[in-house]
Amino acid sequence: MNKPLFLSKIKEGEEVEIVTINAGAQTTKRLADLGLTSGTKIKVLRKAISGPLEIRIRGSRLALGRGLANKITVKRYLVCATPN
Amino acid sequence: MRNTKLNIVLAGQTDVGKSVIFNYLTGLHQHIGKWSGQTLERAEGTLYYQGYTMDVLNLPGISSLTNYSAEEIISRKYIAEQKPDFIINVVDATRLEKSLLFTLQLLEMARPTIIGLNMFDLSEKRGLEINLSKLEKILGTPVVPTIATQGKGLTKTLDRGIELLKEKKTLKPLNYGAEVETRLERLTADLKNIKSPYAPRWLAIKLLERDKEVEKIIKRGNPVLLKEAENLCQELEEIHGHDSSIIIAGERCLLVAQIIAKVLKTSESKKISFNEKIDKITCHKIWGYPTMAAVLGIVFFAIFKFGNFISAFLARIYSGWPAAWENFFGHSAWSALSWSAIESALALLDLALPFIIPFYIFLFLLESSGYLARVSFLMDNLMHKMGIHGKACIPLITGLTCNVPACLSCRMMETEREKFITGFLTTLIPCSAKTIVVFGLVGKFVGLGWVLALYLFILFLVLFLGKLTSKTLPGEAVELIMEMPDYKIPKIKTILLQTWFGLKDFIFIAAPLVIILGVIIKAVSLAGWLPLITSWLSPIVVGWLGLPAICGILLIFGVLRKELILVMLAGLLGTTNFAQILTPVQMIVLALVSLLYFPCVATLAVFWREFGWKKTTAVVALELFLAILLGGLAYRILGLFM
Repeated sequence: MNKPLFLSKIKEGEEVEIVTINAGAQTTKRLADLGLTSGTKIKVLRKAISGPLEIRIRGSRLALGRGLANKITVKRYLVCATPN
Repeated sequence: MRNTKLNIVLAGQTDVGKSVIFNYLTGLHQHIGKWSGQTLERAEGTLYYQGYTMDVLNLPGISSLTNYSAEEIISRKYIAEQKPDFIINVVDATRLEKSLLFTLQLLEMARPTIIGLNMFDLSEKRGLEINLSKLEKILGTPVVPTIATQGKGLTKTLDRGIELLKEKKTLKPLNYGAEVETRLERLTADLKNIKSPYAPRWLAIKLLERDKEVEKIIKRGNPVLLKEAENLCQELEEIHGHDSSIIIAGERCLLVAQIIAKVLKTSESKKISFNEKIDKITCHKIWGYPTMAAVLGIVFFAIFKFGNFISAFLARIYSGWPAAWENFFGHSAWSALSWSAIESALALLDLALPFIIPFYIFLFLLESSGYLARVSFLMDNLMHKMGIHGKACIPLITGLTCNVPACLSCRMMETEREKFITGFLTTLIPCSAKTIVVFGLVGKFVGLGWVLALYLFILFLVLFLGKLTSKTLPGEAVELIMEMPDYKIPKIKTILLQTWFGLKDFIFIAAPLVIILGVIIKAVSLAGWLPLITSWLSPIVVGWLGLPAICGILLIFGVLRKELILVMLAGLLGTTNFAQILTPVQMIVLALVSLLYFPCVATLAVFWREFGWKKTTAVVALELFLAILLGGLAYRILGLFM
């Protein structure tokens, strides 16, 4: 198994796919209502210094707190997976 | 006979132009009230159209119809119980995909719904091509393009609504994926016999989402069904491997993505890059901050300059009035008391005209232009240190002018918990009146360095208390989840309307308490009880804080309006050279106590209305305690080396 890759570690301009969201039940639900569920493709637009991230999702832009981004794991889908 | 009274609801996510449409439809025929048992605003208005009298209710802007926030629960309850004749779902055409997530949830409620595809002009400009007839066919409900800011498409929306009523067509539900759909249908069939204002299919969906409120309803009606729903949830969870509420949300996302693929064509546009260009500066890691400081600095400088000018102008107008009043009504207790009532009302006006109105105009200007969201983005990190998130910086910054609109703007926070923490912290922010006291005493007689020290101390205290309250209050800490709106050119008419409603709020909430307390304090002073109160307070004021005894009176009057502390001091001394009676240490202590000891009565009134008397009492008690504790400590510590 690869180590989980957290959304907070993704660089500006990168496009990734959400794998899991491990926030509290309420927050996870709220994110899902905003269209942020596992399998969703997003692009990291901007990161403030140790602050929130701005992402593009489903045609709109969303700012997420850094702590929250630490609870979301993602995978890169543009890069080919290396064979084992 | 046809029914000519219609009940219409406006529903939509935040920032889609719902309020603009509401204002356009109802103009000034609005009634802003409260939801029963809630502190949330309830905006209703009346509209006469085509021989119909339409009562329009503007539901609070929400992001979904789950039970995440009080707004959402209120909204879905209202739709189910009041059975509006039709719902106008305002949708942002420039963010169709996101908006449709909400629309799907609204359609699940199975009430007649018209989709108002708002900001249609903008979406066209951005190269988004929406196939309206296809969208209408898929959703099974009318879709009308609108441009709210120009009032375009609104009558057509109403026309289609009336048509829909005449047709009496039942809404065909949208189908989700097979695994979910079969279970939904089974549950829906079983729920047909449950007595509830909600549609059975909606109840079934909510049961699969494990919605606590709905579970309560079912438990009362038929607890066996709850068991069945739980089994179905577990089946779904076994197939998908995560929480069933997330599965349902995922189904909606999938459905929306399919709809979007069919109806939306995007061509590359210039508008987005324009937004990006501005954001490159305003949200920049480094340049974003000086930009923000400059924008806010200019705004505050303008408000203070303008405010002081108007304030001085008004004071000149009023200056002859007390004497004229006494000449006319004679010198009596009654005349003095009635004057004090008028004086309090004038003081409120003196705050509203020069400071609150320009402040609201700037606030709404910044908000509707989209810049405030950027400020929240930049400030999130700092706000996080006090246990709240970026959005809270707006009430806190607002507090620098006046704590009253600051308290009111705490409504933008998502949960009661964040709302309260932010509201509590705003009462500690030095407003313009407190600033007058600090500069008039410490700035003028001790030095600007000490003013800075006091402000830094307050900042530290706010950080510390924020952290402390967020640690001690129960509940999940909410992280920043905020939409970044596109930059827009603000519409003056909307801003003026918003300012007017904000002002009305301020006057109506604050006025009664301000006037009553003004009269009471005047009565106490007429009865000659002030010396008595001074002597009661003197153990604290003189013994602990080391201030002259008259400061007790000042602090009592300061509850009315903070700047009275300075005004009364000058009045009692007969001079503005405070150095004659107060030592530098005493001035610093008095300024510190003035900053902390009590929210002014107008703030108190608003805080009370927003948070209830229990929380208000707790906050006042804490601040009083802190002011006395810190004031006394400051007196002792500063006395050592000053």
